[in-house]
Amino acid sequence: MPLVKELFDAIVDGKPADALAAVNAELAAGADPIALISHTMIPAMDEVGQLYREEEYFVPELMLSGKAMQAAMAPLRPLLAKSGAKPAGVAVAGAVKGDLHDIGKNLVISLLEGAGFKVIDLGTDVKPEKFVAAIREHNPQLVCLTALLTVTMMAMKTTIAAIEQAGLRDLVKIMVGGAPVNERFAKEIGADGYGETATDAVALARRMVEPAAQAN
Amino acid sequence: MASEKPIGPRRQRVLDAIHHRQPDRVPMDFGGSAVTGMHVSCVAALRDHYRLEKRLVKVCEPYQMLGLIEDDLKEAVGIDVVPMFGRNNMFGFANSGWKPWSFNDMDVLVPEDFRTTIEPENGGTLIYPRGDTSARPSGHMPKGGYFFDSIIRQKPIDTDNLDPTDNTEQYQPLTEAELDGIEADARALNTGDYAVFASLINTALGDIAFVPGPDLVDPKGVRDIAEWYMLTASHPEIVHKIFERQVEVGVANMEKIHARVGDAIDVVFLCGTDFGTQTSSFCSTKTFDKLWKPHYANLCGWIHKNTSWKVFKHSCGASERFFESMIDAGIDIINPVQCSAKGMDPRMLKDKYKGRLVFWGGGVDTQHTLPFGTPQEVRAQVLERCEIFSDGGGFVFNAIHNVQAMTPVENIVAMVEAVKEFNGAMA
Repeated sequence: MPLVKELFDAIVDGKPADALAAVNAELAAGADPIALISHTMIPAMDEVGQLYREEEYFVPELMLSGKAMQAAMAPLRPLLAKSGAKPAGVAVAGAVKGDLHDIGKNLVISLLEGAGFKVIDLGTDVKPEKFVAAIREHNPQLVCLTALLTVTMMAMKTTIAAIEQAGLRDLVKIMVGGAPVNERFAKEIGADGYGETATDAVALARRMVEPAAQAN
Repeated sequence: MASEKPIGPRRQRVLDAIHHRQPDRVPMDFGGSAVTGMHVSCVAALRDHYRLEKRLVKVCEPYQMLGLIEDDLKEAVGIDVVPMFGRNNMFGFANSGWKPWSFNDMDVLVPEDFRTTIEPENGGTLIYPRGDTSARPSGHMPKGGYFFDSIIRQKPIDTDNLDPTDNTEQYQPLTEAELDGIEADARALNTGDYAVFASLINTALGDIAFVPGPDLVDPKGVRDIAEWYMLTASHPEIVHKIFERQVEVGVANMEKIHARVGDAIDVVFLCGTDFGTQTSSFCSTKTFDKLWKPHYANLCGWIHKNTSWKVFKHSCGASERFFESMIDAGIDIINPVQCSAKGMDPRMLKDKYKGRLVFWGGGVDTQHTLPFGTPQEVRAQVLERCEIFSDGGGFVFNAIHNVQAMTPVENIVAMVEAVKEFNGAMA
């Protein structure tokens, strides 16, 4: 299936209503939902990520494109569930205990979904035991932790410790991000990776779900 | 009311610094504004360290739970700036009628209209706009937390039919009673001893802390933070109208304030909108020049034409790309000078903007060094930053944003003592 230009443009231009209309028109014409995602929507979000890296796009444009992607996904989700199609990966994501900031987290989730991942959003102020329960319930390959504050970033460490204590550490890759977090801190607390920006997080997630990475 | 008081050495060194003259020593601000303060727990710890009179610390800014730095602590630390706040705080009530309050096993004083409830399910603390417990709460502190975040109370948005005045409810003409209060504050504060830093012109153009309307009982318009960011890209014409109205009210208010207090104010807080992120920015310079710069230029233009006030702009993160436009718009002072962000190397900043922009901040990294470093590391960074930024004036020492809760007091003391050490070496 070729790229659907109206849908591609609606996502890149951040127009949710146009994206929804384009998807509905394609579905009415008998398009394959999986092909729409893989041939048009994922390339569109890749283009958005590229524009962000080139500083043609900034946070507001990323958010608008994410919103357009979400609008387009709405009619596709039930069809995907019915078809049993496998996502690019499964992740659980949340802002750690004590932290209520979700802009960065929501941006990462939206871009991950745009890259074909299924993401379980645990929200903000997520206690370590809630991450543990979500891992048991959803069997993700990835756990994404975020914190904006110096006073909450240490909750990432306790969350990783709780996952380890529950005997689940080897089943997941843990990636961390947020304003005060850096590569060194990620290593210190035993995370598997650090994403400096939302688009870095997507690239990291893609690498982490590769079979070779999962085997390590 | 003219500023006729003799100028003392503290105020003089701030005036020298903000006029790009070499002061006798590096001036210091802590507590001058809501972005240059210290968490109430840090203020209490510093009072203990300097063996000051035992008393509960007042929370002068309840949103971030900043502590009031009183004269005895100012003296001990060597602070040269005094704050002048508007009548109401971030949650829309006055800082008066103090009462005890406890959080995280710590006792503090809060204003009488600081009214809270505890969430039964998770033990978080809810705070109410204007102290009105019949309203929906507007702030939330998680259990074990150290400050509040806004609760987003967003009604359904129809972006094609937005009324810009819905987003300007917070920005109203000052009443005579408010002006009387400002005049009384100015008389009390304008002793000539300290530089007066005023945060009362209420011209926050899209400051994300104010967008949710934490002081409003029933906020209308665009109040969700992500929706606001998207609005700046999808409907800039609406944002322009909101800013135009804010500027119109802001200028009218400044005229009234100036008529009452004249040049008793030394520095005026313009706007806290953050344009930088850790590695990039929230918009392009092109967008800044189109959407924000004309409005800043109108505000700064009035200030510079009619007053001697210097204009203070706060913008976190990698903001350097906007500095030329900010200078062009009439902004004199930039804060917090987040040197840890991309493209914010202190030496480069000083070389490039010496004599054109005052750096109010940049003194020590509050994301890494101050909370997590050793006192030796704090000292070394403070001495280095003072060395770089103080040449030729144009520098007021402050940490990069507020000193956060849980910062070890020995590190805060190391910071203070390093500034004194530098100033001793300078004298």
